[in-house]
Amino acid sequence: MSTPSPIELQVNDVTVSYANGMVALRDASFRLTGGAICGLVGVNGSGKSTLFKAIMDFVRPARGTVLIGGRPVRAALKANLVAYVPQAEEVDWTFPVSVWDVVLMGRYGYMNFLRRPGAEDRSIAEESLARVGMLDFRERQIGELSGGQKKRVFLARALAQRSRVILLDEPFTGVDVTTETTIIELLRELRAAGHLMLVSTHNLGSVPEFCDQVVLINRTVLAAGPTEEVFTEANLARAFGGVLRHFRFDESTVQKHDGKAVTLLTDDERPLVFGKDGHLEYSRRAGHEQVVEQRAETEDDK
Amino acid sequence: MIETLLTPLEYDYMLKAIAVSGLIGGVCAFLSCFITLKGWSLMGDALSHSVVPGVAVAYALGWPFAAGAFGTGLLAAAGMAFVKTKTRLREDAVIGVVFTAFFALGLFLISIRPSSVDLRTIVFGNILGISDPDIVQVAIISGVTLAVLGLKWRDLRLFCFDANQARAIGLNVTVLHYMLLTLLSATAVAALQTVGACLVVAMLVTPGATAYLLTDRFERMIGLATAMGVGTSLAGAYASYFFDGSTGGCIVTLQSLLFILALIFAPKHGLRAARRRRRVAAHDFALEGGTRPPDAFSGLKQTRPEAGFHP
Ligand SMILES: Nc1ncnc2c1ncn2[C@@H]1O[C@H](COP(=O)(O)OP(=O)(O)O)[C@@H](O)[C@H]1O
Ligand SMILES: [Mg+2]
Repeated sequence: MSTPSPIELQVNDVTVSYANGMVALRDASFRLTGGAICGLVGVNGSGKSTLFKAIMDFVRPARGTVLIGGRPVRAALKANLVAYVPQAEEVDWTFPVSVWDVVLMGRYGYMNFLRRPGAEDRSIAEESLARVGMLDFRERQIGELSGGQKKRVFLARALAQRSRVILLDEPFTGVDVTTETTIIELLRELRAAGHLMLVSTHNLGSVPEFCDQVVLINRTVLAAGPTEEVFTEANLARAFGGVLRHFRFDESTVQKHDGKAVTLLTDDERPLVFGKDGHLEYSRRAGHEQVVEQRAETEDDK
Repeated sequence: MIETLLTPLEYDYMLKAIAVSGLIGGVCAFLSCFITLKGWSLMGDALSHSVVPGVAVAYALGWPFAAGAFGTGLLAAAGMAFVKTKTRLREDAVIGVVFTAFFALGLFLISIRPSSVDLRTIVFGNILGISDPDIVQVAIISGVTLAVLGLKWRDLRLFCFDANQARAIGLNVTVLHYMLLTLLSATAVAALQTVGACLVVAMLVTPGATAYLLTDRFERMIGLATAMGVGTSLAGAYASYFFDGSTGGCIVTLQSLLFILALIFAPKHGLRAARRRRRVAAHDFALEGGTRPPDAFSGLKQTRPEAGFHP
């Protein structure tokens, strides 16, 4: 156990169809190895959650196989190789359990058949809560937390599980910036420790910041590999079709005087762009000729 | 006065009725925590009606009533699962169709063999007339149910809360599903004796629902529900002697009263607490002058491009 070989996740030709006949995923294939953060990127409804569920054996693929550390899913789950952080909508927030109860649930796989937590389970649960900065909230009922805090609790549960593969479904949806930073920091630490994280998101901007691998999906795997290779304009246009919002600087009111001082604010929707000295920029010059005229500092600005 | 209060306890049949009611009330209440949280209340109602034909057949053939009841209960559960996967009907329609079919069949069977078992006994319960073999069956069912719940409550709680996590740590969710379903059928069968098919669902839902209003802790919810289940069942069976009324009606009325009290007075989730919170919020709002300072960019992520954009 001194130098365990890197964990590997293999998805081979996985096809998933739901009871209503809808094929949510067709012939999806990719392979990832540990010590990586992989972004699973696609529009809403592209099958990200479905792929997670197929990897976790929550839905049985009609065709294809998933191997985790060379083992079939069932065996991998029994060996606590995989942890799953659910999407917020999948959790019953009114259930009478405390933050502490939830994190201990991550340890059930290690406990005896009565699931009585031992000293080690408690100390690992405590450490996991501390790592996500939620130790002070351990006695709270889970519904009494903010969106970001809820996410962190379920992340702590995954940490407590000590799994080498961690799947996170939309961890950045509905969370505050602090939580997003905490999560990304944590993912980096886990990567350094050799874990493999698969993180679904439809928030493109953050992907190059923390993902070294990307799987682009839209009902099937469109591209998979290192971020620089996969995250090209052409691939993204294929994955997102007409859904993407553009801010083309050459068509906008941004002028030469703004130089490198342009500030981009975005909350995942259209970016809000501010030029030099913080004035608002419009994405199209048309209709804003007056603004352009007023701000022009030099002749060639126009 | 004291003597009057003690009279019910002088009768052997009253002592038995009170003790058996308390036992069943406790077991049902324990289970009700899982049933209400899993959203299986309607399922409890369905199973308690579906056991009727089994009881009728068992009595007619001289089998233990629990065997027959349990058999048709599980048959009904399987029937519902089958119809649900094979059709596009919604779950409530499936449950409605299947359980009424079973219940109707039961009523029909009893009506053509009226001598073997009294219809009123099944529909309204007859704890005062419970026979010793029936007491043994109820005791066995209760003992097994309590043992399973006592040993596996953490797994079942996880199954009710987050079945996916249960799968993710390698638990067999199918086994847990059928375990809970079997316990539900078994307790429905046991409760049939006390309160009758019509009111079984109350014993399997009301204590859990009441306790849920009173606490945010699962362990405490189980404790409160079980205490209420045992208490109301003992008191209801005892009180029914004086009113000369239906034991089941008495027990369930008491449970409903507790529910109403909890609904109004529960410290955190009651109606009064909600009103207090609204008042406090309105008060705070007024103190702040009715406006909150806008928290301009706090929710936004800011990115400054390192490399310049040169239009
Ligand atoms: N249980 C289900 N039954 C039928 N269709 C489903 C089910 N779950 C998801 N789908 C469909 O499968 C497609 C992919 O869904 P999903 O995997 O949730 O996408 P994403 O997570 O990328 O938003 C969607 O069109 C969705 O409507
Ligand atoms: Mg999703």
